[in-house]
Amino acid sequence: MNTTPGTTTQPSAVEKILAFVDERVGLKAMQAKMLNEPVPGGSRWAYVFGSVLLFIFIMQAVTGILLMFYYVPTADHAYASTQYIIHEVDYGWFLLSYHFWGSTAMVVCVFAHMSQVFLWGAYKKPRELIWLVGLALFGIVMGFGFTGYLLPWDQRAYWATTVGVEIMDKTPVVGDFMARFLKGGPTPGQMTLSRFFVIHVMILPAALMGLAGLHLFLFRAAGPAGPFRGSPEELKAKTDYFFPRQIWKDIVAMATVFASICILAFWEPVVLLEEATPDPGDYHPEPEWYFLFLFQLLRLKIFSGEFGQFLGAIALPGAFMALLAALPFIDRDPERNIFKRPIALIGWIVVMASILIFTVSAIINREFLD
Amino acid sequence: MSNTKLALAVLWPAFWTGLPIKLALTLLFLALGMMKLEALFGVAFLLLLSSPVTVLAMPFLIGLFDLHLSEGAGLSLVFLFSIPIDMWAVGLSARTVFIERLQLEPQDGMAVQLWGKIAVVGGACVVALWAVEGFVTGLAKSVAHAVLEMELLKALPVAERISLELTLWGSVSTITLVVLLVLSLWAVGAVIQMQARQARPLAESYQKLVHRWDLMRVPADQGLILTAFTGAGVVMTLLFWSGLPSTTPHPHETYQQPVAKVAPVLKPVEVLNKSERVLTQAESAVEALEKKKAEESSQSKKASKGKPGPKESSAATATDAPVAKTAVSASPSLKQ
Amino acid sequence: MQPKLKSKVRAADRDVGEVTRVIMDPLSHDISHIVVSLNGAGERQVPMGYVQAVTEDLVQLRPPSSEVEALPPFKRDDYVTTHEVEIAHLEEKIHVTPGEVLVPLPDLEKSVKRRTFFANMTHAIGFLIGLPLVFPVLRYLMKPMYAPFDNGWLKIGNVGKIKSEDIGVQYKYKKQVKEAYMPEQEIDKNVWVLKATPAVLDKIYQGKDMEFRDPIGNTIWVNKKDVPYVAFSGKCPHLGCGYKWRTHKLLGQVFLCPCHLSIYDASGKVLDGPAPRPLDPLPIRVSAGGDIQIIDMEFKAGTKAQVRIV
Repeated sequence: MNTTPGTTTQPSAVEKILAFVDERVGLKAMQAKMLNEPVPGGSRWAYVFGSVLLFIFIMQAVTGILLMFYYVPTADHAYASTQYIIHEVDYGWFLLSYHFWGSTAMVVCVFAHMSQVFLWGAYKKPRELIWLVGLALFGIVMGFGFTGYLLPWDQRAYWATTVGVEIMDKTPVVGDFMARFLKGGPTPGQMTLSRFFVIHVMILPAALMGLAGLHLFLFRAAGPAGPFRGSPEELKAKTDYFFPRQIWKDIVAMATVFASICILAFWEPVVLLEEATPDPGDYHPEPEWYFLFLFQLLRLKIFSGEFGQFLGAIALPGAFMALLAALPFIDRDPERNIFKRPIALIGWIVVMASILIFTVSAIINREFLD
Repeated sequence: MSNTKLALAVLWPAFWTGLPIKLALTLLFLALGMMKLEALFGVAFLLLLSSPVTVLAMPFLIGLFDLHLSEGAGLSLVFLFSIPIDMWAVGLSARTVFIERLQLEPQDGMAVQLWGKIAVVGGACVVALWAVEGFVTGLAKSVAHAVLEMELLKALPVAERISLELTLWGSVSTITLVVLLVLSLWAVGAVIQMQARQARPLAESYQKLVHRWDLMRVPADQGLILTAFTGAGVVMTLLFWSGLPSTTPHPHETYQQPVAKVAPVLKPVEVLNKSERVLTQAESAVEALEKKKAEESSQSKKASKGKPGPKESSAATATDAPVAKTAVSASPSLKQ
Repeated sequence: MQPKLKSKVRAADRDVGEVTRVIMDPLSHDISHIVVSLNGAGERQVPMGYVQAVTEDLVQLRPPSSEVEALPPFKRDDYVTTHEVEIAHLEEKIHVTPGEVLVPLPDLEKSVKRRTFFANMTHAIGFLIGLPLVFPVLRYLMKPMYAPFDNGWLKIGNVGKIKSEDIGVQYKYKKQVKEAYMPEQEIDKNVWVLKATPAVLDKIYQGKDMEFRDPIGNTIWVNKKDVPYVAFSGKCPHLGCGYKWRTHKLLGQVFLCPCHLSIYDASGKVLDGPAPRPLDPLPIRVSAGGDIQIIDMEFKAGTKAQVRIV
């Protein structure tokens, strides 16, 4: 990293160690290749979301591991151990609340990252594979949210999961098998908790790390897309390397996200409902906020009945995801300027607005449930 | 460059530049218990984010519109700290725009001057925006509600009604907001233009201009800035640690916190002396009883059948229950 | 110096062509052959042994051109480029291209001060993100490690069970234990109680009352040296096994630990075996009715000093 001009003084111990490693591993060359990536048009704040997502994942892994020191995934002690963390372990409430709000931050940043890539047209050739791997990562992030939600085993957790898995059951052909696989039986219980735990703690993290690595590799292979407008002279004048400027912006964004999650943890620390029971009582099941729009969609009359539920829960979201996956192959126009891609721009606005409207509707709908 | 574009070019980076520092302060005050955020968390965030223009508007928003964002002095302190932070952020952002986009030489003292003008004009715009937006939204909501009450739509089920009503007043509200924002930006932009007109043009190449604003961000004395920054961060962290509550500020209503067993204050010498007295009393009582028993057994033919000593003395103790009991009960409240 | 690509090749008598390719030995990482294009008349693979001298743009061969032309023709299919194989550190040894291939350094990257400033600020911010977590995380992990002691009195039985003096009598009792969020559980414990004669009592107390203190220094209890009843913790101070009262061939009636054969006399003193310290006495009090109460304590096994852990 140091580009200080060569002096004739003796190398320090650190320099000697670095030289030793460099001779064997090619450290300097590797470092240069990793860090000195020119970003056309210069580093931008708009590009920080990928790195921020990586940061959030690392924080979730760290807080998650810490939670595992006290949490036990058994139906008889999951609730008690979670309450123990919140009430008795020093700063347990803070770490658990951080983990909880961190998952919200992850979903928000995933939407931001996908939107940025979409609006910048960075899914087009030669970046189709990065986009596809990214969609898989999106699915994994949603999976994390869904599986993690069950673990505290309170009423909210239990019933949100029950309803969610029932919805997945509506998938044609494989639905029943999938639902039984996830539940570990015909109804939710200890088997469900064990499966959700191992998926949340082992399978999804491994999948995420593998795919994220692939995502980064493919990104490097294709090079950063850069801004969608600007004369070559402008782009050249502003070009700088990934390190230090983009990394600097990334870390400031990470600090901002870190502070925001901590603030959220203070504003609304995790408070559990009563322990899960087979009788929902007065409680109205509801999924996490980022699934609320789907949840509300399914309340519309057009999606009533078995076929309607299938349409709203499986067919429509499935078709939308398929559209996203097909996007780089349908949209072959090399134009990347969003202001010259009216369909893309309007499409994005419509999708975001719809998600927002249905999410808020779900919140309003709560008052009408009693 | 148009007024709105100019305002956006200066304000957008200025907002985000100041935010990380304001967030760090907010977090510190939360940990120290000086701030309790209320339900309007999102609004608080947005106001904090846009703080060059909201700082002077805050008292009006709280006073005129009864805006209640938090308990405690913390939030007000953050807005107070925002003043120097924003002066720096606006200065940095404006100078960059002047150099690169307008190709003008930024003047000395521009940061504070611009901050002042933006705060006043922006503040007025925010108050006006709040009033108008509030009014329009209220109106739109009641109109939407009335529309939904129409005979034509009576048959519509609940979920559809909710979404339809929300879309109706939501779109009106959003469009109004966008229009008001554009107008506000135009006003702030005009203020910045006035400042720009006083600046003299630069005649350097584009590359040189970019180079200049880029290097503007590198301080002359790096070591000082770095040490001061890290030092301040460490101090804030230490304060954070001192204030962070170790158990949840929102405990569950039915959770039984473990009762901390307070060890009763022992005065051991006193206790032992008392115990000794009890023992010697009991011993002498036992002796007396044994004597009595010996006398009785020498008289009576039916002697106890050679049972071992302890049993005899315990039997004796049992019969002389009142003595023993008072002796035992006299021992202090060590028994828990 | 390594022969450069596109260099002229001269045999002893005349110019024969130019270097079109260079072949490296994968084991020694040295150049083994150069491939010379004979001015359009095919390519020959020339071993480096033929080379007399190498300059920047000329390779001088020792043999005459006829010998060079007599070499077997070059078979490209027998070779792959260095990009198609993975031979560690091979690329570092290749210096056969004349000149350099360059990419412009972006104008903004030319300032070293800028680079170091942003590098250092990045490190500073990274440090400040991690720092606030250190203290809470450490405290979080350490929560159960130094749990406060329970100094409650437990009734374990009655002295009526003890028939003779200086004989170890085992008292088994149950203790209620609540660990974190687990429901309360009953565990079986035992202590050995001795009714000691004054001689044995003196060996245990050494003329001083035995004080039990809490970590701060306040006294929890004092065992008076003239109270004849002594309770020893049921765990052997060697490694925590449960020990017994037995008759030994040579040493008489002793406490004997079956795990590693530590032997203690009635006063708890170590007679034989690996025990690092004598048996641990516990706070004891006997009511007027003969009910024995103890404070259950456990001490670290295997150390000379007595360190309370429970």
